Amino acid sequence: MKALRTHIRVILALVLREARVRHGRSKAGYTWAIVEPVLQVTILTMLFREFRAGDGTTDFALFFATGVLSFNAFRNSAAYIMHSFEANRPLFNYPMVKPLDAVLGRLVLDTMTNLVVMLLVLSFQVIVMDAEPPKNLPLAALPILLMFLMANGAGLSLAVIKRFLPSVQNLYHIIMGPAFFVSCVFFSLSSIPTQYRDILWWNPLVHGVEGFRIGYFAEYAAPDVSLFYLFTWVVVLNCFGFVGEWLTRFKAI
Amino acid sequence: MIEMLNVSKSYTLRGGRQQILNGATIKLPWQNVGVLGRNGAGKSTILRLLAGIEEPDGGIIRRHKTLSWPLGFRGSFHRELSGMENVRFVARIYGQNTEEMVQKVQDFAELGKFFYEPFRTYSSGMGARLAFGVSMAVDFEVYLIDEIMAVGDARFRAKSKQAFHDRLPHSRLVMVSHSMSNLREYCQTGLVVHNGIMTYYEDLEEAIDRYNKLNE
Repeated sequence: MKALRTHIRVILALVLREARVRHGRSKAGYTWAIVEPVLQVTILTMLFREFRAGDGTTDFALFFATGVLSFNAFRNSAAYIMHSFEANRPLFNYPMVKPLDAVLGRLVLDTMTNLVVMLLVLSFQVIVMDAEPPKNLPLAALPILLMFLMANGAGLSLAVIKRFLPSVQNLYHIIMGPAFFVSCVFFSLSSIPTQYRDILWWNPLVHGVEGFRIGYFAEYAAPDVSLFYLFTWVVVLNCFGFVGEWLTRFKAI
Repeated sequence: MIEMLNVSKSYTLRGGRQQILNGATIKLPWQNVGVLGRNGAGKSTILRLLAGIEEPDGGIIRRHKTLSWPLGFRGSFHRELSGMENVRFVARIYGQNTEEMVQKVQDFAELGKFFYEPFRTYSSGMGARLAFGVSMAVDFEVYLIDEIMAVGDARFRAKSKQAFHDRLPHSRLVMVSHSMSNLREYCQTGLVVHNGIMTYYEDLEEAIDRYNKLNE
């Protein structure tokens, strides 16, 4: 019980610390962590709307916003968590601060940040752009939760591998660049030809992004989406990460 | 105050295995202990094992007292946070009153305006003053000290010596240093680390003699 309280205390202290240094020396500090993605997503949304006017029936700006927000929930958090160990290295000099606390601190902070960003972007769409509000909030929240958990598993796994192979972070960025184009961010799974659909289906991000839309939009056809498949990735990546961290804890210098 | 039972610790380096401790069993009594050993013998690693930052490969470490983190000037502080923010972090993880602790450290460390500047702007002496001030603000029974006394100026040394003196009734220290005068100033007993073996000497002078022989 005492150990648990210590962990919670340490994680809270880390969340506050991380929020403070998220944007380095900037005086505005944490505000940028919110403003930057909100502007980024809004600008991207406007750009993509020019490229594709949609099929006329759906609101493409909102369609794209739901895609990029759920995609970012994974991509940004995983990259952020991947750097947990080296960014907090000096703090591991305190006996109660463990590497896993740093990971969980970053997960908590980034989840909260992403939720605020989502709230702001979608509120803007609904209130100012007159887009439709979410239809089924719990159903939309579940895939997002799974995306955060998968980001934790992926980020932790990468952080563990990075103990021995620092260049793995380049690999992550090489994979995640094209991932934007094959994760249904700006198109739906049902809109692409069957032969490609079967390949894309194996990308777990597709299920998070499309799953979020199923909950958000009143009538959204995405029959192939499997949250169970996404959940499998969550379990596998987290197991690999937590077990790997435990096995390699005192091996690296 | 601390017992080590059959403790082993080694690192795998590119060139092979580096054995720091090889089944060490030792009982440190309630004394100020100076830790001696040649460069790379594993003195800092031993402090980290005592503090519980690292786990031994085998064996048990029993701590009967509350131990500080290893105090070194290389730091447990975040470069981008100010001295004050770093103090707040330590206060939070040790469950101390944040503002009270900030006040105590500010008074002790005498950093002036630098207290509000990022830690990366500090000189090593300033870093040592901050580290020392922070650890003094939390009540530990055993202070683990890694070379930190070597970097301060005369005034800081006098002040830290006084601070330790005031605590002597209920605190002890385990101190790593290459400066014999420094060790003589604070410690009565010695611990020599060499080739994976630790030897405890009830008289610091004996430990220093042994250490000098190792260096010949």
